[in-house]
Amino acid sequence: MATVTVRDVVKKYGELKVIHGINLSIAEGSFVVLLGPSGCGKSTLLRMIAGLEPISEGDVLIGDRVVNDVHPKDRNIAMVFQNYALYAHMTVRENMSFALDLRKAPKDEIERKIAWAASILNLEPYLDRYPKQLSGGQRQRVAMGRAIVRNPEVFLFDEPLSNLDAKLRVQMRTEIKELHQRLKTTTIYVTHDQIEAMTMADKIVIMRNGYIEQAGSPLEVYDNPDNLFVAEFIGSPSMNLIEGRVEGGRFVSKGGTAIALPAGCKAGEGQAVVLGIRPEHTHPDPAGALEARVGVVEPTGPETHIYFELDGRDICAVTRERTGVKPGDPIRLRLDADRIHLFDQASGKAIR
Amino acid sequence: MTQGTAVIATGRAGVTRMPRWLTSEHPFPWLAPLAAMLAVFGLYPLIYAFVLSFQQRNRIKRVDEFVGLKNWIQLVNDDRVWNALSVTLTYAFVAIVIELALGLLIALLLDQDRKGYGLMRALMTLPLVVPPAVTGMMFLLLEDGSFGWLSQNLYMTGLLSPEHPILATGSTALMGVLLADIWQWTPFMVLIMMAGLRSLPKEPYEAAAIDGANAFQTFRRLTLPMLSRVMAVAVLIRGVDLFRIFDYIYVMTSGGPGTATESLSAYAGRIFMTGNFPYAATLSLMTMIVVIIIANLFVRLFKVRF
Ligand SMILES: Nc1ncnc2c1ncn2[C@@H]1O[C@H](COP(=O)(O)OP(=O)(O)OP(=O)(O)O)[C@@H](O)[C@H]1O
Ligand SMILES: [Mg+2]
Repeated sequence: MATVTVRDVVKKYGELKVIHGINLSIAEGSFVVLLGPSGCGKSTLLRMIAGLEPISEGDVLIGDRVVNDVHPKDRNIAMVFQNYALYAHMTVRENMSFALDLRKAPKDEIERKIAWAASILNLEPYLDRYPKQLSGGQRQRVAMGRAIVRNPEVFLFDEPLSNLDAKLRVQMRTEIKELHQRLKTTTIYVTHDQIEAMTMADKIVIMRNGYIEQAGSPLEVYDNPDNLFVAEFIGSPSMNLIEGRVEGGRFVSKGGTAIALPAGCKAGEGQAVVLGIRPEHTHPDPAGALEARVGVVEPTGPETHIYFELDGRDICAVTRERTGVKPGDPIRLRLDADRIHLFDQASGKAIR
Repeated sequence: MTQGTAVIATGRAGVTRMPRWLTSEHPFPWLAPLAAMLAVFGLYPLIYAFVLSFQQRNRIKRVDEFVGLKNWIQLVNDDRVWNALSVTLTYAFVAIVIELALGLLIALLLDQDRKGYGLMRALMTLPLVVPPAVTGMMFLLLEDGSFGWLSQNLYMTGLLSPEHPILATGSTALMGVLLADIWQWTPFMVLIMMAGLRSLPKEPYEAAAIDGANAFQTFRRLTLPMLSRVMAVAVLIRGVDLFRIFDYIYVMTSGGPGTATESLSAYAGRIFMTGNFPYAATLSLMTMIVVIIIANLFVRLFKVRF
């Protein structure tokens, strides 16, 4: 167990800068998820922490030690690679015992750990197979197994569940979480699946184009997004966004729809803003102030997503009731005023 | 105009009249030239040698007569054949082990993208373009008992004494010849090993680094096993080649002193020179059979796949 600190870290490939001075501190024993769209630099950051990529500028610390020039083997970390990186000439068992063998761990301990990992990962029938005889998901589980049999100071996971089927993914998510609660090993987990991020993380770090957009607990970033990118990226269906400006203490959309703003709102008069409201805070209500026409209705079972158009934008409302509305029906909507987010249109920053 | 059309029409008709196995869709026309070459230069001599091995020259009638297994029985009872076999095996084994080890070592050292390494890799291949006979002459001069540069240096270190020149002493002559072979053929191993190293995936190395493997462990547990296929193929190619070793021996020692460096090919060549073609053919066939057996054992043992 150890803290991990990333201080002003920059990564350049030649002239190309892909990480632009990132600061991040990860508490001992916490579970941090790096979340962001493809190509935003999640893997690069993780590989720098692992010591597989040289750091162009800044420092990475594990515990109190600056590890910039420490070889990966001396960092006491375990990692699951995005592309598995299995040893093709070793069986599943040998793949998993490799690190323990190197440290000359006692035979019975190796046996026990492999049996334990194999049972968690449903790998028992495959222990004597070679990686090329396994499916993608099975290989991914071997890669997981190889990491969890170790007892490292830091776990690094690079999209470890991306190749599993939906059921196994949910199951593994719970297993990883349980494992973390039991071992309390500092974990950095990369994913672009926000459900994974929300359910597993103590702290979510949202990245875009080599910058950190926001870092905080799952509910913090969900309830109080710092900017438009985070607001739109987190949540499914994503937050409804309506462009307009502030006039006389109210929000007026481009199409002229007026929405009352909560008291104490810091937006200046006449400021061009974007109003954000989550679908679950948008309710069909006969007494509502907004009027719209129903577009698409998507029942998911527990809840129903109702899409409608407002000022040329698709807006979504989520309801748990059986409203029975049909496409084309006129509908009235009510917004939870205290759940309204305002963002500056020019900078995208939240106005609080 | 009409004429032109007519020509095309007959041309088409000609094509359709050709039997299918003569058209380009059939493998036969593609394989025929090579098959013909193989038949003339490979198969025919082989069958000829096989027939010859059951004959003997009648000096009075001046014709080859069928004598059954006589040559083969003589071969088995010929001590010089057994000596040649042991020389050949020793030579091949030592050459392969040293060339493989050196080749791998040099390939590992050269497999870096530092400045100047490209040039070094190119220079490394130079010995391969020297004709073997020239290499033989070169080492003959280097190892010459009185003025050879190598010999003199060895005399100075005391490893060798002038009374026992390398190539004229039974116990060291084979090693003297091997030096030429190693100098010439290690680069071949380097090339193959380098190609093999380049083709290895880099991800397992990253995983091994994180799993805590040091440089030596990484080499032993990743590089060696991942390279073993390539190494087996290299050993096979080189091994078959080494079994026919003739040129360096012919140039440097002619099989001497005594029969200390007489390989199977060298002995066969010597018999051939004396005009006993049937016996030379028998010996060559035996060499071939031994090569086939050993190569097959090797392929089975190391599960070589091409
Ligand atoms: N060797 C390289 N040379 C140049 N650019 C690179 C190199 N490796 C990665 N990049 C760039 O760095 C950026 C970040 O890549 P990275 O692999 O970290 O993305 P990621 O967030 O892990 O994406 P994904 O979710 O698709 O895995 C990308 O824009 C990529 O094109
Ligand atoms: Mg990635």
